[in-house]
Amino acid sequence: MSSSTILAKTSSDPTGQVSTSGLVWEMARRDILTLFRTPWIIISRSMAFVIQLFVFAYFISGMVVYPNFFQYYAVGSVVAMVASISFIIGYDIFEEAEEGLLDYLLTLPVSRRQFIIGRALGGAIRSMIYIIPMFVIVAVLEHFANPLSILAAVLDLFLLAFGVTGLSITMAVTVRSANRFDVTLALLDLAVTRISVALYPLTYLPNYVRLIAPYSPVTFASISVHDALIGTSLNATSLAGLLAFVAIFLVLGATIYFRRLEGGVYG
Amino acid sequence: MISFDKTGKRFGTLDAVKDFSLDVRDKEILGLLGPNGAGKTTLMLMMGTVYRPTSGSISVDGFDVIKHPNNVRKLIGIAFQDARVDGILGAFDVLNWHLKMTTVLDKEERAERVEQVLRAVDLWDARKKRTWLMSGGMRKKVEDCKVLAQRPKIAVFDEPTAFLDVPSRLLMWKMIRELRDQGSTVIVATNMMDEAERLSERVAIVNRGKLVAIDTPEVLKGRTKGGEVLELTVDDGQEFPRGLLTQFGEVQDVTQNENKVSVYLSSGRLLLPKIVETLTTGGIKIQSVHLKEVTLEDVFLNYTGQNLE
Ligand SMILES: Nc1ncnc2c1ncn2[C@@H]1O[C@H](COP(=O)(O)OP(=O)(O)O)[C@@H](O)[C@H]1O
Ligand SMILES: [Mg+2]
Repeated sequence: MSSSTILAKTSSDPTGQVSTSGLVWEMARRDILTLFRTPWIIISRSMAFVIQLFVFAYFISGMVVYPNFFQYYAVGSVVAMVASISFIIGYDIFEEAEEGLLDYLLTLPVSRRQFIIGRALGGAIRSMIYIIPMFVIVAVLEHFANPLSILAAVLDLFLLAFGVTGLSITMAVTVRSANRFDVTLALLDLAVTRISVALYPLTYLPNYVRLIAPYSPVTFASISVHDALIGTSLNATSLAGLLAFVAIFLVLGATIYFRRLEGGVYG
Repeated sequence: MISFDKTGKRFGTLDAVKDFSLDVRDKEILGLLGPNGAGKTTLMLMMGTVYRPTSGSISVDGFDVIKHPNNVRKLIGIAFQDARVDGILGAFDVLNWHLKMTTVLDKEERAERVEQVLRAVDLWDARKKRTWLMSGGMRKKVEDCKVLAQRPKIAVFDEPTAFLDVPSRLLMWKMIRELRDQGSTVIVATNMMDEAERLSERVAIVNRGKLVAIDTPEVLKGRTKGGEVLELTVDDGQEFPRGLLTQFGEVQDVTQNENKVSVYLSSGRLLLPKIVETLTTGGIKIQSVHLKEVTLEDVFLNYTGQNLE
């Protein structure tokens, strides 16, 4: 084969361009697929969730004087879980940057905007898939059956996932050392999910937490999800807060992200 | 095609690339030759829109890399120095995804292309093996195959044959030449002399972020003062009296790197006994003498005062 041509000519011309939405979706799909590489994580987390719900929530609800606290806690657990899971994308991106895979991704014919939207979308969809089993458990236990309510709740959860993904990406590119990044993200995860009304109503929180909790994106999402599933009215403030959170961190994440990378922070 | 105009990249206080100007011609194979740390990869990553130049500019097919990065990305394909592949995927999936992102080929066409390159580099049977389980050489082949299968208008190979055995290196060079024959402009960054010399039509010598010389290997060698080099090893610590030799008309230049002295000659053989005699009477202890044709290695040494590596 010494003189034969190895790269046979092909008739089609490869210099055209893949559609924009196609590229965004491909970026997203990459992140979603990583979830299915480790299905046991979903299974074990779901089981831990059930145990937590039954053992802990039942125990606490006997002590807390609040109408149907078990329901409150069950719904809030799903919200808090979405936030926690959505933080994972930051670890992925940090790792990609360290391994240099990010450099490769950045040379692909994807605009920076498509790239960041794709990643955030992928991270958010991934979180949503992840919490399906837990959401179903809660829905069955609490008899949530109205499709419109469920749809609204899913939408709220998705917005939260989208925003936290953006926040996590922002952190991944702002904090440079790997050790500090791990700690920062873990603390932020704790802060965002615990300093919120997801698991306990505002009145049961310690004073200092009570000051900050109303402004947590997880609080916004919790209120919105509770409204959607249980309440009748729509809480506009919470929804607006949630949307603002998404917008701020997607834009911030994208801006800092690319400024850092182009400066060659990693490498 | 590609034009670097006084391009610079500063990392903190380090000038990784400085005042670099170079025009890459349409459909040529250009070798970027320089030791580790010369700035080759940084140059390619700036051209590839990953890093932003801190001074000067780069344009690719008329598109400025800062102002129109999206247009630039559509034209290029980079095979990275260290394989940049998702370790959990097999070679087939890595290449298929790359083509999905960079071409408009449909599923069958992609599969055909991928099979073609993987068979050529003898990785077809291992196409499902996770790339993180592969040897460095196999992974490097997969990386090169990304660009070979993509066939971009501008193809960059960053040290394409590092970790490859000899037959694989020859094959890779052949495939890169074919890629150019089919219409790609190719840039090959390398720290290996034979690769630069055998693969590229023009060689750009890069050292400490700067362009030192650029021409065909032949011209570069010819320009390196005459046709032959006399390599002398002298005793340590001796200050070499250049003047003793430059008095001869045939001696073009004398360079010293520790105890190795290179004497560039226009016609060496006749002069050799004379030089040795002159030095010996001048009190210089010569340990060894070696007369050879000029190679790119000498060109590099001559231009930079250092050895490659
Ligand atoms: N992201 C980075 N941050 C800081 N310094 C860097 C970075 N990338 C490369 N360098 C430095 O720039 C110089 C040139 O590196 P590089 O372009 O990789 O050279 P080459 O590819 O020729 O071996 C080296 O001194 C290297 O350490
Ligand atoms: Mg390099």
